Amino acid sequence: MHFKLTEEQELVRAGVREFCQKYVEPIAEEVDMEPRFPMENIKRLAEQDWCGIPYPTQYGGAGADYLTYTIVLEELSRACAATGFTLECQTSLASFPLFKFGTEEQKQKWLTPLCKGQILGSFALTEPGAGTDVAAGSTTAVLDGDSYVLNGTKMFISNAPVAGVFIIFASTDKSKGAKGLSAFIVPADTPGIKPGEHLNKMGIRGALTSEVVLKNCRIPKGNLLGGEGQGFKIAMMTLDGGRIGIAAQALGIAQAALDESIHYSKERVQFGKPISSFQAIQWMLADMATEVEASRFLTYHAAWCYDQGLPYSKEAAMAKLHAAETAARQTNRAIQIHGGIGFIKGHKVERLYRDAKITEIYEGTSEVMRMVISGSILR
Amino acid sequence: MLKVIACFKWVIDEADIRVDAPNRKLLLDRAAFKISPYDRNAVEEAMRLQEQHGASVTAVTVAPASAKNCLKDVLSRGPDRAVFVNDPSFADLDPARTTGLLAAAIGSFVEFDLILCGEGSSDLYAQQVGPALAEKLGIACATYVNKLTYVEGENRVIAERKLEEGIEVVSVPLPGLITVLPDINTPRIPSLKQVLGAAKKPVEQLTPERLGGMQAERLKTMGVVAATMERKRLRFGAGAEEIRSVVDALLKESAIG
Repeated sequence: MHFKLTEEQELVRAGVREFCQKYVEPIAEEVDMEPRFPMENIKRLAEQDWCGIPYPTQYGGAGADYLTYTIVLEELSRACAATGFTLECQTSLASFPLFKFGTEEQKQKWLTPLCKGQILGSFALTEPGAGTDVAAGSTTAVLDGDSYVLNGTKMFISNAPVAGVFIIFASTDKSKGAKGLSAFIVPADTPGIKPGEHLNKMGIRGALTSEVVLKNCRIPKGNLLGGEGQGFKIAMMTLDGGRIGIAAQALGIAQAALDESIHYSKERVQFGKPISSFQAIQWMLADMATEVEASRFLTYHAAWCYDQGLPYSKEAAMAKLHAAETAARQTNRAIQIHGGIGFIKGHKVERLYRDAKITEIYEGTSEVMRMVISGSILR
Repeated sequence: MLKVIACFKWVIDEADIRVDAPNRKLLLDRAAFKISPYDRNAVEEAMRLQEQHGASVTAVTVAPASAKNCLKDVLSRGPDRAVFVNDPSFADLDPARTTGLLAAAIGSFVEFDLILCGEGSSDLYAQQVGPALAEKLGIACATYVNKLTYVEGENRVIAERKLEEGIEVVSVPLPGLITVLPDINTPRIPSLKQVLGAAKKPVEQLTPERLGGMQAERLKTMGVVAATMERKRLRFGAGAEEIRSVVDALLKESAIG
């Protein structure tokens, strides 16, 4: 057993830190406040080969491991959680189903431009009436000759307003419930698919999220991903891996809250001393640091399991559960340490507090994570 | 083809240095290392010459054997190969010994037209290795360079030196050595594929035996302690009548004469 990153992973971490200092951190506040999508940095991510990190070079990926990808997400999210999340959507949610279930032709056509960052991808599973209860979705796909015709409305779809391609989940057989769900590749320029207005979110405001309306959206039969009825399996496997990504995002947010708190507590003087000299603050910082480190080990371990080809579903759920709840708790503590100034817009901890919350919700709520974990240990 | 050497030093990342307050000792046990920042400019400039003129680029360093992590770091930034002059005893070398080793290594083992060095290292900033290396190799040298142009077919470079009095433009015949300032370029961040490709590039290991030994030490480090700044905690008002008391206080502290 060893806890040492490879030289390459360390170099990548140093590179992402420099990248963030140079490009991400300076606009993170503006991206949140306006809000606006940081397209200029998404293009730079592609130049750094960070859009398809864990996928093979033959599909335009970097051919690196999942742990490297995890480190990139952690560091990006430490500077701007919205930027980290946009990359997570691209890599975990849009590219993974293509990589795992796509035919060679589908991979060449769609995975390659995603990995090269030439287009952005979007994963559309959730519906107004189907969040955690995925099988309750009402979007349908009907085979009509050589095409499928899709109808329905998807909700809270990340990257939708900027996506070049969607992975859409729709029922091909309502009577079968979850087993009737199928996944489809839908190019954004297909007539009948339309992203709605950008939703005004509480956090990760620089990442774009909207509903997606499908109205007689006709796609070639060849755009079915996997087989009919495989949609639920594709969605669950995708989310299993995605959870490592969200854990990494939450880890980055929590680390940033700790960084800010350490820095501020050394500068802020009350009663003639920096507040870091008071035990109340010291204990808060000690707890924060310990929980952040625990999140890191859980997250890296889940990524390592993925890289080793070991089962990782439980590990990913544990990592996401702990990292997300740590992020929510520690950003709250960070504001407490900052006092009034931390409650003011424009201060980083205020943004972190809002950004952290969603990590307890998306790609499986904390409650679902507990179901996955308990299901695994009680088996 | 133009043959360029970029020299670099593997230094402690100053951001990681902590100070043990009671005795001012530097705590380095958790400090990471990095390529000295100005040397990154030298490497970047070499890569720029490669892109513009198809130069071959060799990165050369003198370091303790334990510093082997510097190799993938520098190679991820573009050079075709690296020369690692190393020995377990090569920690905290003084500039004269570093220069002697570099001269022996480059003189006997690396063909070159142009050597690029950072103006100074971020730890010592002695600014000696570049010019002294040129002297030992018997080649031309220009320091404080913030713009460099290779003149194809004329075997020379034109260097703009940023001096206190202004900019001096010099023509340097090759082979030559240039020390660069940080504003000569903006070093790029290596892409992931560059990082992953670094391990595949050739590295030549050179030890003191192959270089015919090394010179005697000329400097001895007696100790290193953190600088401290004592604050007087004096307060003055902003009014004109307060100026006298500010001046008096500065005179008393010999801050002004």
